[in-house]
Amino acid sequence: MKWLAKTIREERRALERARRRFIRKPSEKRLHDVRTTGRRFRSLLEDVADLAPAKRLLSRIKRAAAATDAARDATIILRLLERSVDAIEVEAAQPLLDELRKQEALATRLARTHLQRARF
Amino acid sequence: MKPHRVDLRDVAGLHEVVERVVKTRLREVRALAAGLERRDRQGLHDFRIASKRLRYALERFEALEPSLQAAAERLASLQDALGEAHDRDVLLAILPPAMGATQRRLQREREESVDQAVGLWNALSSYLNDSLIG
Repeated sequence: MKWLAKTIREERRALERARRRFIRKPSEKRLHDVRTTGRRFRSLLEDVADLAPAKRLLSRIKRAAAATDAARDATIILRLLERSVDAIEVEAAQPLLDELRKQEALATRLARTHLQRARF
Repeated sequence: MKPHRVDLRDVAGLHEVVERVVKTRLREVRALAAGLERRDRQGLHDFRIASKRLRYALERFEALEPSLQAAAERLASLQDALGEAHDRDVLLAILPPAMGATQRRLQREREESVDQAVGLWNALSSYLNDSLIG
């Protein structure tokens, strides 16, 4: 199963590259890349667990994903609220917008801290 | 929701791996399609995650089995619609009561996205039934 070994190697490298890029300069796009490559790699390892067991690596990937959830959620919800808020409710939305911006900044810092320690 | 184990013991080759993975992930999606019909938040979420796993499997294997590409593309559109509905569910859960107009708009958009997802899934489901992987 050379193809499988090669695919695992490539997806692992892709995740590690995405992780390093995010740590160097965190951004919404780079966080998205870490999460997407992580999900794809996790899905591969789960699919072929009978042929290539990787429990510890899977756990690390899951922990890294969990560490980035809050940042991604805050970003997505913030962007959606910014473009959805009704004109007559801009004032009522302000406290939630402020809170989401704070959450986004804090959660992104925490995600970076976690990913600095993680290795794939 | 944990993915089902794919039984790959005694597989004879890579094409059998592809077939077993795709069939297992497709069974998961079909088993959770009732969540899409119910239109509730948790049901939609579980269906979305399962269909994402199927999509990743199809995209990964399409280099080996090009016939999977069309289904993967349709699943990507389904994912987009489900993602739009999910994002609105998350925001609706934390929206202050004083934002009724925004809430109604988000609710309407959410239902439109679910309608779109239902249409896409119905078409995709028939397509998969007619294809080799169904």
